[in-house]
Amino acid sequence: MVDRTDTKQAQQTASRRSFLKAGLMGGAAVAAGTGVARAAGDPLITEIQDWNRYLGEGVDVAPYGKPSEFEADVVRRSVPWLTADPVSSINFTPLHELDGIITPNGLCFERHHGGTATIAPADHRLMIHGLVDTPLVFTMEDLKRFPRENRVYFLECAANGGMEWRGSQLNGCQFTHGMIHCVVYTGVPLRYLLEEAGVKTTGKWLLAEGADAAAMTRSIPMEKALDDCLVAFKMNGEALRPEQGYPLRLCVPGWEGNMWVKWLRRLEIGDAPWAQREETSKYTDLLAGGKARRHTWVMDVKSVITSPSPQAPVTHGKGPLVITGLAWSGSGTIKRVDVTIDGGRTWQTARIDGPSLPKALHRFYLDINWDGSELLLQSRAIDDQGLVQPTKNELRAARGENSIYHNNGIQTWHVNNDGVVENVEVS
Amino acid sequence: MLKFPKSAALAVLALTAFASPSLAEGDIDAGEKVFKKCRACHAVGDGAKHKVGPELNDIFGRTAGGAEGYKYSKAMIAAGEEGLVWDADSLTEYLTKPKAMIKGTKMAFAGLKKDDDIENILAYLKSFSTEQAAAAEPAPETASEAEPVETAAAAPDAEEPATEMAMAVEASQGAYGLGRKAMPDEIAAWDIDIRPDGTGLPDGKGTVAEGEPIYAESCAVCHGDFGEGAGRWPVLAGGQGTLLKERPVKTIGSYWPYLSTVFDYVRRAMPFGNARSLSDDDVYALTAYLMYLNDIVEDEEFELSKQNFTVMRLPNEANFIADDRLSEPHYAKGEEPCMSDCKPGPVQITARAQVIDVTPDGDGDESSGGGID
Repeated sequence: MVDRTDTKQAQQTASRRSFLKAGLMGGAAVAAGTGVARAAGDPLITEIQDWNRYLGEGVDVAPYGKPSEFEADVVRRSVPWLTADPVSSINFTPLHELDGIITPNGLCFERHHGGTATIAPADHRLMIHGLVDTPLVFTMEDLKRFPRENRVYFLECAANGGMEWRGSQLNGCQFTHGMIHCVVYTGVPLRYLLEEAGVKTTGKWLLAEGADAAAMTRSIPMEKALDDCLVAFKMNGEALRPEQGYPLRLCVPGWEGNMWVKWLRRLEIGDAPWAQREETSKYTDLLAGGKARRHTWVMDVKSVITSPSPQAPVTHGKGPLVITGLAWSGSGTIKRVDVTIDGGRTWQTARIDGPSLPKALHRFYLDINWDGSELLLQSRAIDDQGLVQPTKNELRAARGENSIYHNNGIQTWHVNNDGVVENVEVS
Repeated sequence: MLKFPKSAALAVLALTAFASPSLAEGDIDAGEKVFKKCRACHAVGDGAKHKVGPELNDIFGRTAGGAEGYKYSKAMIAAGEEGLVWDADSLTEYLTKPKAMIKGTKMAFAGLKKDDDIENILAYLKSFSTEQAAAAEPAPETASEAEPVETAAAAPDAEEPATEMAMAVEASQGAYGLGRKAMPDEIAAWDIDIRPDGTGLPDGKGTVAEGEPIYAESCAVCHGDFGEGAGRWPVLAGGQGTLLKERPVKTIGSYWPYLSTVFDYVRRAMPFGNARSLSDDDVYALTAYLMYLNDIVEDEEFELSKQNFTVMRLPNEANFIADDRLSEPHYAKGEEPCMSDCKPGPVQITARAQVIDVTPDGDGDESSGGGID
């Protein structure tokens, strides 16, 4: 029998090579542990186990509970060479380990520009000023007296997949697609706050600013601010995590994550955009001809198969195989997801299961009977606007290879006969 | 219940916020110079009469909206009725940002940004007020025909909404009555953003030569002596002509559209780990030095200031375009996607991640592939 703890610890140290090895061993190693009856029967059944004899821990051992110790490798991971310093850096959601559409709070990827600000809620203020009738200051207590809404939204960094423009590079969907999460936010519609201050008719733009050491700023058009933006203080029912902007963040549904200003402290109303660093030198999309697009706010229709994937190889051999993944669009809901197992020659429509909410993740499944032959897996999302997820080649033809942002190209995973999965591109 | 402790706490805040200006001693002669900005609309001294705005003799101690014979805005009259009497504190707030304090005031003047200017102008105006009035206690009716600061130049304010009182903490007038009015000093403390048109630029100046030692001390450790960048820290200079190449180097000179972004960002977030530590003059000097490193200016004595800032242009400004993703062929064709026989023959693998071998695995020897900067 395989010692689960050892296996998990091995994976934890780990590493691409480890999980590739695990994948290679896959079929054989895990088969021993799958409960195949031996002559004397499975000892896990025939012998009384410790957990069946001795008492476990009582309540309150962990007043705030944690995942099982056997899930210790389900963590955010970073790519150290991407950025100069971990204080201004990014890590990635372990999509390959998750299911459903909601991301647990502790696994939501982090991206900060000046570290995580530590702010006591009693010390936090939100100011609205500029082209308003009355500039206002709110405390957290004030904000919690406005009517609230609960909304499920994905948040995707515009640079998600940015390392993959020139070709397959990172071997794991955590790294290729993990700058995304999806939670239910509780907050106050931004328009209530703007109405409280009274936006003047000349007020066409809004500058959102964070209280962190980067004082992050982004310009947002008033039309969006009045449409569906939220000023949120809860995620998945509990207070925002510090790294997600505690005590207050802006939600800009369907639009690039950088605009969702964390530690939100200031909203200035103006008549023109501010051309801040994060909307000029960054988050602008350089095209092949030397022009650069700006104000590319909406996150495009996109999907990825999360399992099997390089970090989630097929370990069970031939037979029933659940192919699953995520699809999303900043324009609305996902109408359909198609999956191919032969690199795009033939496609089957996958089954979307769970809620289908606008600007939220959608979970899809394709249940197949794997014959053990090589697979080239792809998924292709279509949103309710009729937009179809393009191929990487189509994107490169239109934009070149230096856009960094907004790579929503179709991802290909190669599954070999042993169930090992690799990030590849195909003809 | 909660409201009372809150307003009490805020009242204390308000008091402390306004305690200091009244203690400051201004200079009368310097104030006379500052008052040149006001003379178009206001008279003061012997024989002063109302002009566009009311005359300002004995303004200290005068009730807001109280000068006979001058037609005030409703807002100003209401402020007086609610008890606003002009003294050093209230005039300081008003002159900082008139419309922020008296919403609906007729005075078009945007406000004085420098504390010194306000102190000096108050000293000057005080020299035209009687001692008694200047004593600043809510001295009720001084007999004079004097009047507070207002001009008719501005809005056709026939239909001004009910005024808010200026001074201390005031509740929101919105539908929920939540929050309270932001005070001018508070807005000034946080409102540091600058737009490409120069909106928000502070007074100040600095030369290339002055910027060099500041850069060497505070910036070069990450950005390199010449803006070339150390490690993966951002490259700030050079890169001209690389935007069409395989590895474009996007710097202030090669990519950034606006100089205002440099000033704004350096002032709000740099140096990394010690934000807001540079003076405005330091930031002007650093911005000038960064222009120099990018060959946008070549004279080490070049001085960047609020006055000449918006004349400066960065080379790549014209190369930014609107979002036109939806016109790209893959979106524009609008076809139902192919479901079968979509590719002629067996599919070939054309790229593999394992060949690149940059996935983190703890070995720590990966060289960088294409990054996200």
